[in-house]
Amino acid sequence: MKDLSSNRLLKIFLYLALFAILAPMVIIIFWAFANQWPWPNLLPTSYSLRGVKEIFAPYGKVFPILTSSITLSLTVALLSAIIAIMTARAIVFYDFWGKGILDFISMAPNLVPSTVFAMGIHVVFIKMSLANTPLGVIIVHLIYTLPYTINIMRNLTESIGKDMEQQAYVLGASPWKSFLYISFPLLLPGIIASITMAYILSFSQYFVTLLIGGGKVMTFSMIMVPFIAKGDRTLGSAYALVFVISTLLVFTIINTIMKRFQKRKEKYNWN
Amino acid sequence: MKKKTLLILLILIAVLATGCSKNNTTNPNEKLVEFDPNAGFDTLLEQAKGTTVTFYGWGGDENRNRFLNESLAPKLKEKYDITLEVVGMDIDNILAKLAGEKQAGLEEGSIDMIWINGENFYSAKENDLLFGPFTDKLPNFEKYIDTEDEEVLNDFGFPIEGYEAPYGKAQLVFLKDSAVTPETPRNTQEFLDFCKKYEGKVTYAALPDFTGSAFVRTLIYDIVGHEQFLTMEADKEVVREAIEPALEYLRELNKYLWNQGKTFPATNGEVDNMFQDGELVMAMSYGPYAAAVGIEKGIYNDTVKTFVFDNGTVGNTNYIAIAKNSPNKAGAMVVINEIISAETQAEQFEALKTLPVVAYDKLSDEEKARFDKVDIGQGVLPQDQLLSKRLPEMPANLVPIIEEIWLEEVVGK
Repeated sequence: MKDLSSNRLLKIFLYLALFAILAPMVIIIFWAFANQWPWPNLLPTSYSLRGVKEIFAPYGKVFPILTSSITLSLTVALLSAIIAIMTARAIVFYDFWGKGILDFISMAPNLVPSTVFAMGIHVVFIKMSLANTPLGVIIVHLIYTLPYTINIMRNLTESIGKDMEQQAYVLGASPWKSFLYISFPLLLPGIIASITMAYILSFSQYFVTLLIGGGKVMTFSMIMVPFIAKGDRTLGSAYALVFVISTLLVFTIINTIMKRFQKRKEKYNWN
Repeated sequence: MKKKTLLILLILIAVLATGCSKNNTTNPNEKLVEFDPNAGFDTLLEQAKGTTVTFYGWGGDENRNRFLNESLAPKLKEKYDITLEVVGMDIDNILAKLAGEKQAGLEEGSIDMIWINGENFYSAKENDLLFGPFTDKLPNFEKYIDTEDEEVLNDFGFPIEGYEAPYGKAQLVFLKDSAVTPETPRNTQEFLDFCKKYEGKVTYAALPDFTGSAFVRTLIYDIVGHEQFLTMEADKEVVREAIEPALEYLRELNKYLWNQGKTFPATNGEVDNMFQDGELVMAMSYGPYAAAVGIEKGIYNDTVKTFVFDNGTVGNTNYIAIAKNSPNKAGAMVVINEIISAETQAEQFEALKTLPVVAYDKLSDEEKARFDKVDIGQGVLPQDQLLSKRLPEMPANLVPIIEEIWLEEVVGK
């Protein structure tokens, strides 16, 4: 009996969460094509293709910018996940001098207000000639995403432990093989979570990208935010829609690739 | 084995990183030798050929973005072989970027032209972020601009001294839907009555919003006059005393505003959205032809009309400056020279409905005719009527003081 009621509660909560996510999405879809939508009308009173035209207008370079933006964020996400796997292993499995400091420093970018951080690092990056380059933007995004990815990977690495890998060593597997066939599949859910998390953080980053990229490195948020800030609901929604759809597509692709990876490994193991 | 893994990872990182930073090494303007602003305009034209000029400014107006990219850029390419790169960035961020570059001692920055005016120009010039004087070297400046005009000499009361060239003229106007509100307030007293009648349906953007701030200055001008501010000392107590009657009025006004003046919308964009939704009966804009633009887009009803106070509303000019560390000053000067030409100003007037900066009596008959036949659209006031109701901006350093006083003594009081 108790089980059932908690189940029902869970269901209500799930539907509420789903509604909280989907309702604004529906409104965004409507606004992307709406011209006027005054209260209390349930549906927009007039529609226009202003948003669509703007997105597809060649001078806006929306799609080239979107492509390079996705490439940049994917690079950040992959690097962030790789660094996080290694950092998590180091922190969990090894004892070394300065481990506590490293642990703390990995959280630091989130403790400093982002404007302060960005202004400071801007000067440093200019001196290192990293400002206005994609590499500079990638590094800055990495600094922002690492606290999240490291934490995800650390918890998972801790819970999986070293025992299984050691078992493989005992059976004669090399460290690389034991990582690839034992730890990696076990870590995969965390890796997918890290990549998605880092991707979305990087993709939606505005102020640091603006300052470090200096208008030379264009990302999608940089063309979207001015319209949202201005309060242009039609254009803001149209851009937001492209943002959401492209992100969902990227996530689906990442998921499919990762799952295929896992399947192949399983098959290999059975042979 | 472990070392090998590490190596693979390192190579991967290196490949990804270099793959993404291909296009940052060569600067197309590097071949440009020794820029000399006094070398004569023909030399500048020669130096500017084949270069890229970047233009940084607010990017939230799709009409302007389209005009710059689809009309101005191709023309510059054809006429001067200059590639114009328009970058949308808020002026605060542009100044932060310039300040950072200055702090790091970067002599060749990335910004050439900046869309700027008022307090931002004041602080940029004071902090030595701008290049100049350059306007006296532009042939079109002498040819088309009224060099004795107050707004060409001073920007928000601060001497320009050739550090920026006029780009467009703005003036605060009010919008109402004549189908909803037949009456038109002509001064602050009538405006108060208007707010009483439509209680809770009028408001303005919280200062320091650009438009909200201009609106408060217009009310202040109407109540205590504008002349005294032109020479006023930038001291908080002096300003407070001068505007005390206006503060009194604003506090009285609060009672009848949206949400009883306890809160104000953060941006004029929100005010505009609320007006579109019918939640407010009045909106305002710095673009004098905003009504026509909105009706054309279909976001305003056809019955929306523009109005101003009998005593006038504040108007200002926006300008283009050149960054001190601009990598292509010659190119920037050629582009600015083109922008202040009668032809480009007329195109801008047609496409964006921005008040032109060229002096009408310096134009040829042909050029005059082109300006005259521009269809300014529905629901707006003609240019001569606007300009006759145009009040000068306060000195730039008074503006933040008034914004501060408003926050302390008006909002929620």
